[in-house]
Parts: sequence; structure tokens; C-alpha cells
Amino acid sequence: MIQAQGLTKRYGEKTAVNGISFTVQPGKVTGFLGPNGAGKSTTMRMIMGLDKPTAGSVTVNGAPYASFRSPLTEVGALLEAKAVHTGRSARNHLRALAATHGIPDKRVDEVIEMTGLTAVAKRRVGGFSLGMGQRLGIASALLGDPRTLILDEPVNGLDPEGVLWVRNLVKYLASEGRTVFLSSHLMTEMALTADHLIVIGRGHIIADGPVDEIIARSTKATVRVRTPHPEQLAAAVAGPEVTITPKDGGLLEVFGATAEQIGDAAAAARVTLHELTPLSGSLEEAYMTLTADEVEYRSDAPIPTTDPATLTTTEVAR
Amino acid sequence: MSTVTAPAPARPATTAHLSFARLLRSEWIKFWTVRSAAWSLSIFFVVTVALVSLISLAVVSSGPNDGPPGPDDVLAPFNVAAQLGQVALVVLAALAITGEYTTGMIRSSLTAAPRRTPVLWAKFLVLTVVFFVVALVANALGALLQQLFFSDDLPLDLGDPQILRALFGTALYTTTIALLSFAFGALVRHSAAAIAIVLGALLVLPLLFQIPWKPLQEMQPFLPGIAGSTITQTDAQVEAGWESFPPGVAHLTAWEGYAVLVAYLVVVLVAALVRLKKSDA
Repeated sequence: MIQAQGLTKRYGEKTAVNGISFTVQPGKVTGFLGPNGAGKSTTMRMIMGLDKPTAGSVTVNGAPYASFRSPLTEVGALLEAKAVHTGRSARNHLRALAATHGIPDKRVDEVIEMTGLTAVAKRRVGGFSLGMGQRLGIASALLGDPRTLILDEPVNGLDPEGVLWVRNLVKYLASEGRTVFLSSHLMTEMALTADHLIVIGRGHIIADGPVDEIIARSTKATVRVRTPHPEQLAAAVAGPEVTITPKDGGLLEVFGATAEQIGDAAAAARVTLHELTPLSGSLEEAYMTLTADEVEYRSDAPIPTTDPATLTTTEVAR
Repeated sequence: MSTVTAPAPARPATTAHLSFARLLRSEWIKFWTVRSAAWSLSIFFVVTVALVSLISLAVVSSGPNDGPPGPDDVLAPFNVAAQLGQVALVVLAALAITGEYTTGMIRSSLTAAPRRTPVLWAKFLVLTVVFFVVALVANALGALLQQLFFSDDLPLDLGDPQILRALFGTALYTTTIALLSFAFGALVRHSAAAIAIVLGALLVLPLLFQIPWKPLQEMQPFLPGIAGSTITQTDAQVEAGWESFPPGVAHLTAWEGYAVLVAYLVVVLVAALVRLKKSDA
């Protein structure tokens, strides 16, 4: 269990994490989702005691990380690929870490095998690919057979087989009752892996709940309606929660009302409908809706927040 | 690989935990598992032994002195060898800590030992022992070779406590200078900067302080290299050195001089420990 209370980190003028509170429960995979620069890594570094919070506190299993007699068996962390001396071999790196806790070399060889590093274990880490570096980071995290795992972007640089392996591994570890806290900016990966989501943007928590619930809550379905009398229909379905975008040829895109509500309103106003199509939401859409205001680094023009249905897959892929 | 491997067999929960002895073991492994260690120590060893032998040969070949050969002639090869050989240890000591910062390894180290300062102490102790033992063995081997080939012209009286202290002091001085480099490395976290600071203090500052200006001259005996190297000399040599000082300049005995060097080390090390404890990793 990880508990954060009013956790804040400021670097000079810039606030990276702004008074966030959350709880990561054991027994399930909790995803930590947010755009680049949202404060995910900073939060994880504060959990591990690498960065000192400007305000607030965070505990793991009820105590600050630094207070544990056996930190590596409490928490295993992958914070960034290659927090490793490039001149040392993978095996010697793990041996040096294991030695701090008296963990035997037998366990070192076990995690090397588990992470598929056997063939390269004696090679110097400097020549490792991003994927091998990630595997070594995961091996370090597993070294102490910890009760809690914190993995920052663990699938970064992994091949599809490695991604699948990480997904199965974290689910398995959670099923054993461990706490698993996993960050990513890849929504599809989170949809497949996480049971619970904490969404962060610009240092604020913007959603915290089960994955299904977050998708349902954040994707107000858009409905496409075609009618010969768009003005009359627009007047009939208008409401404070409803946004209507007129298109060419009597086409309307209605955001904030269900297909049933629009059909009923049309019938009541005696407006003919030629088309009534619900466009279902996805996690991508939910994510873009949630974080549209919170993106720190934009690659181009602002995303129109009132009309998420106009988001195309290419925009999501950025 | 593609499937999840069986969970790690449960180990007795009491065996795996952090301790200072285990941190020492970890730092010992870290020290020997990067190539720079073997390289730098070999260079130091070869340079020290070779220079002691060659300079002894040079002293002998340069013909008889005015009087019988004294401690000056016997010890000179060791002093010169220490001045050059120490560069290898200065570089190695700085890299032992700055390498962790430049590669990001420090974050792994501090995750394993989140109370932080024991990591630096463990590293410090490992370096101290390795450097002192290697320096002592290198100087002993140099002395052995010197006596094997040049005992007639350069009699090394190991029964003389002054000579013994000078040889032992040479190893002590080299070790302490290297540890000063380690402390600067831990403070500035940058390899080139740490090495430049220490080599600058050892090789450049003494030249600067030779400018005949009273305040500089008065500080000269307190420079780390000048103060510290008094321990590599006999009392007679130290006292002879005072003669060359301008009047009014402090006279430090061998142990006083060495204490000044240790004081520099303590100040820089404390600053490094404070920075390690306070700042984000």
C-alpha cells in the first residue's frame, strides 16, 4: 500500500506536483497515467525518497521508505532505464545491489533468468539496448522479492513480446497480493494492464478510480444526427450540458446527450431524422478529455476540449 | 520468458536486510567490477616501483655527494614517485564516486540504502583500505629493489624510526590525497572538475604561492600538498625545509602538516555528506 498526503514538489518557480493525495491498494495493478511532464516520475521519485517533497508526505506500507530496515524487500523500483554504471556487467550490477541486503548470488541468477538477460548478463551495461536496460531495471526491482513494486514506464523500449511479458508479470504479482504501481503515458497499455487508474496532469490528480469507471465517466458519447431541419432539432435537444456542432448537409454532432434522448426530443418536436449514430468513447478519448487542459508540452495547436469527437487517431497517437 | 516464471522461493524473511557490513561488501564489489580500478591501481603500482628504482639509479650514477649518503638521497626517489603516482589514485578516487552520478548508478545505490550517508562512508572505507595497502606494498617493493641493487650507495636503515615513518607516511600521504579527491568528487559530482581541483591544488597552487608577497608566503605551508607531504620526510628534512622559508612563516612538524591535510579532507567530506543528505538525488 502506498499513501500520499498533500504531496508537493516545487523546483524553484515551477510546481511539478501540486498537493496530490492518493492511495495505491495491494492486490491490484494501479496505473499512473498522464502526459509527459505531468509529474509521474517526480511522484515516484518522492515515494522512493530520492526527491524530498516540498510539502506533504508519502508512505509505503505505513512508513517512509527510508525508515525500512530492509528497503529492497519492501519496495522494488524501476525509476528510469539505466540507473546503472555503464562500465559494470549486468550481473555484477545486480550482485552489488544484492550485497547491500545480503541477498545471495543465487537470487541474482534467478532474476537474470526471469528477465531473459542470461545471454547478456556478463556484458557491460554500456552496450545495452533500451529494451535490455529496461529488463535489467525490472530485474533490479525484483531482486528483493518486494511486497510493493513501482515501475516507471516499464514497457518503454520493449519489443511486443517484452510488453506482453511485463503485462503478465505485473498482473501475476498483483494477484499474489502485492502492491503494483505502474506509470505510463500509453493509454492502450493501461487499459490492458491496470485495474485501477490514477490520472495526473500538470501536477494535479484529475481522476482516480477503476479503469472502467473512468472511461465511462470521461467519455460523454458523441452522437451524429442527420436531419432536414437542423435548426429545429438543435433547439429541441439544447441544454446546459449539451454541445452541438453543425456540419454540412444537415449533419449535427451532439456531445453530452445520448442517442435515446435525441430521438425522444426529435419525436416530441416532430423533426424527421435521417440518421442517428452513437459514437462510443474509448480510453484514448477519455484520456484526451481528461488531460486536454493539463498537457504540459503541446506539439501544436490546442486540442478543442469541447468537442472530443473531432479527435482523430493521429492526434491521439502524438 | 514469455510466460511468468514461478515466484521466487520464499527466503527466510530475517536474512535479507541492510547493514553497514553489507554496504561495505557491496562497495567492495562495485570497486573491483569496473575496469578503471585495475587499470589505475596497476599504473600507480608500476609507476611507483619503477620510479623509485630509476631515481635511485640516477642518484647513484650522479656520483658521490660531498658526504656520506644521507636520508635525503635514500628518500628522494620515494618522494618523487609519490608525487607522480598519486595522479593515478586521484583520478581513480574521483571516478569511484562521480561515475555513479554521471551514469545514474547513484539512484540505484540510494534506493538500496535510502539513508544515503552510509553509502558514502562505505565507499570511503573501501577506498581507504585499498589505497593504503596498495601504496604501502608499492613503496615496500620499491624499498626492497632499492636495497637489492643500491644498498652500498643508498643504505636504507629500517631500524631508524624516522626512515620508517617517512616510508609509512608516503603511503599515508598518497592515500589521503586520493581520499581528498574522492571527497571533492562526492561534493561536485563531476569527474573532470574534481580531478582538476585536486591536481590544481597539488601542482599549480604551490607555484602561485611562491610569488614573493607576504600573505601568500604565510599561507604556503598550509597548502594541502605542502603540508601533507611533510609526513613523507624525516624530522631533519622537515626542519631543513624551514630554512628556505621567509622569516615569519609558520613551521609545521611532520604530524602537524599531515593534520592540516586531514583537516581539508574532513571539511570537504562533511560538505559532501551534507549535500548528499539534503539534496535530491
